[in-house]
Amino acid sequence: MKFFRIAATTVAIALAATACGGDGGDDEGGGTAPAKLSVWMMGEGTPEQTTFLDGVEAEFRTKHPNTDVVIKYVPWPQVATTFQKAIAGGEGPDVTEIGNTDVQSHIEHSNLADISDEFAGWADAAALNKAAVANDQGGGKTYAVPWYGGVRGVWHRTDWFRELNIQAPKTWAELAAAAKKIQDAKKVPGFGAPSDQTNGIMSFIWGNGGEVAVKEGAKWVGKLDQPQAREAVDFYAGLVTKDKVAPEKYIGKNELQGPQQDFALGKLGMYIDGSWALKEMKKVSAKDADKWGVFPIPTKTGGNAPVMAGGSDLAVWKSSKSKGVAFDYITVLNNKTNAQKWADYSGFSSMFTDVKFTDPKLAVFTSIASNTKMPPLSTGWADFEQTKKVIPNAVKAVMQGKPSDAELKRANDQANELLNP
Amino acid sequence: MLDTAPAVRPTPGRKSSGRGRPRRPRLGPYLLIAPTVVVIALLMFWPMIQIAVMSFQKVGNRQLAGEPAESVGTKNYETILADDLFWQSLRHTVLFAVVAVSLTLLVGTLVGLLLHRLGRRMSMFVAGGVMVAWATPPITAAIIFSWLFGSTGGVVNWTLDLLPDLLVGGDWIDYNWFATPLRTYTVLTVCVVWQSIPFVAVSVLAGLRSLPGELFEAARVDGASAWRQFWKITFPLLRPIFLVLLVLSVIWDFKVFTQLFIMSGMANRDAFNLSLYAYSEAFGGMNAKLGMGSAIAMVLTLLLLVVTAVYVRIMVRQGETS
Repeated sequence: MKFFRIAATTVAIALAATACGGDGGDDEGGGTAPAKLSVWMMGEGTPEQTTFLDGVEAEFRTKHPNTDVVIKYVPWPQVATTFQKAIAGGEGPDVTEIGNTDVQSHIEHSNLADISDEFAGWADAAALNKAAVANDQGGGKTYAVPWYGGVRGVWHRTDWFRELNIQAPKTWAELAAAAKKIQDAKKVPGFGAPSDQTNGIMSFIWGNGGEVAVKEGAKWVGKLDQPQAREAVDFYAGLVTKDKVAPEKYIGKNELQGPQQDFALGKLGMYIDGSWALKEMKKVSAKDADKWGVFPIPTKTGGNAPVMAGGSDLAVWKSSKSKGVAFDYITVLNNKTNAQKWADYSGFSSMFTDVKFTDPKLAVFTSIASNTKMPPLSTGWADFEQTKKVIPNAVKAVMQGKPSDAELKRANDQANELLNP
Repeated sequence: MLDTAPAVRPTPGRKSSGRGRPRRPRLGPYLLIAPTVVVIALLMFWPMIQIAVMSFQKVGNRQLAGEPAESVGTKNYETILADDLFWQSLRHTVLFAVVAVSLTLLVGTLVGLLLHRLGRRMSMFVAGGVMVAWATPPITAAIIFSWLFGSTGGVVNWTLDLLPDLLVGGDWIDYNWFATPLRTYTVLTVCVVWQSIPFVAVSVLAGLRSLPGELFEAARVDGASAWRQFWKITFPLLRPIFLVLLVLSVIWDFKVFTQLFIMSGMANRDAFNLSLYAYSEAFGGMNAKLGMGSAIAMVLTLLLLVVTAVYVRIMVRQGETS
């Protein structure tokens, strides 16, 4: 280990010595421009994404002509292990995309560089979503920059709604009734209710005035055993068991393992997904794409339920030797022009409050995004949501006929334990 | 392989001669085997020792980054032993192994017998065919099976739905094969057994080829049925092969991971086996718990060591009696 550290330092010094040849173009706190800037992006890396990032690099190199930007794509399922390796091996990136629910864990484990000063000196920062910025801060310091977010709504067939004279549901009862109507008339399941969809289910809980957990003093206290949460889970699971408007085939699955494809093929009436789904569904079948529409997830008594803002942030990795240059890259990647391009290409909303989608079909997501809520900002959230899948497993059990009281009591005990690590 | 017992027995000739030469320790064999032992020690024993040590420690992201690991005594073991999920995973692991091993050996032996009956060309052709299943990487097999049994466009549901309701019941088109552990393990068993049959079949075939044909001829002349021939001749003679196949199958089926991970994934904790449970603790999220994962892996290793110990014991006994 020690040998590698020494070797790495030697290489770094050698690189720095060759790189700081002159040009001195980075006098605005950029630090020494390295020969190579390593950037990690999450996901598969589509050709469109590569083209977009090539454009970003070209723009970045007008400022740092001698720095080569090397992009590495990390598929989402491998994110946890890749970061573990980066931590263990010390071979982290300079700039990285991170899932917004993981930011607090990263801060807690001191994986990220403190970029408070750089952030404060960046003019565009003022237009960023305030709640998203708060999620990137800890102990009064800033560790990441919100990049894009995604909120979910209910995808539905506008032509079927018109034909069957259905208005966009405003309450749970209307949602179930609409699903029933479609199911009877079109002979396809009315609604897709997968059990592995933590944030969709949280919208129902939040929409009923419930919470997953709230901070009381220094401790997170689980609220999943409260009636508001139980009612929501009973309703959601009841779509499968009681109302029978959601098929059993999505139990144990997430929205990508069936519902998305079925909806795109015209084999499902409604399901919950984000703006980014449009691009994916068009790949499955674009035949009915002009008939797809979105309405906000309703609450029990009427109105739009708060939605969780999923998404990604940009951070400078702790071990980066050129923090300033790394931050410069972030400001280019996420300047207003590139933010607009990225939103239109990816289907994710920009975290700038003044950057909107160009496609009118997605405009509704901008209004949905005005009612976002963050999950508990605890370092244990990643465990609660991803490793232990607490809510999905409780909902799955309820869908299979177990009593919701006992399941949610158990889930709540897990929340109390996991959110207070 | 383990048949070293006769070598140490004194040869009768030597005894009668009366003047036994003093035995020199022979270094040759040890030198020959030394490189292998060193490689195995480095690649297998060292990681195993590491895992054993880690199972008594708290190893998370901070420790990965270089902080010294903190010893927690037997806390990791206490935590898992108190976890219902551990016992459920253990139950799944054992039950699955019992069912899958039995089916693998049964069907594999039948295919082996069939191959033996076939003519040379046909036997080569069928053997080559079944070996494709053996050669398929587990990930590929798992993806193929989750498509076959998928609820959107899965050919199994489609076929079952086409069959008359009288035979199989109705409503198959939307059947969710991965909703409950029992259903998930049904698909998993089919997938794993399908992949392990060829090895059993070809091993049994190789064993059968080595048996003298006269035994069977004589049995046929005496009018013994195929069933009787198998239990009175084939099975006793091939017992060592069956034993190896049994132990190997147990070891493989105890640690099935890939197929279950792909088919049912991390979201269905109620269908976990020990491997998946260990993975989910160690690598499942941003907060690595490698100590917990190691503790579960140790339990699995101990189980397998018991199986191996029983196997070695039987082998040694066989060496003594034969």
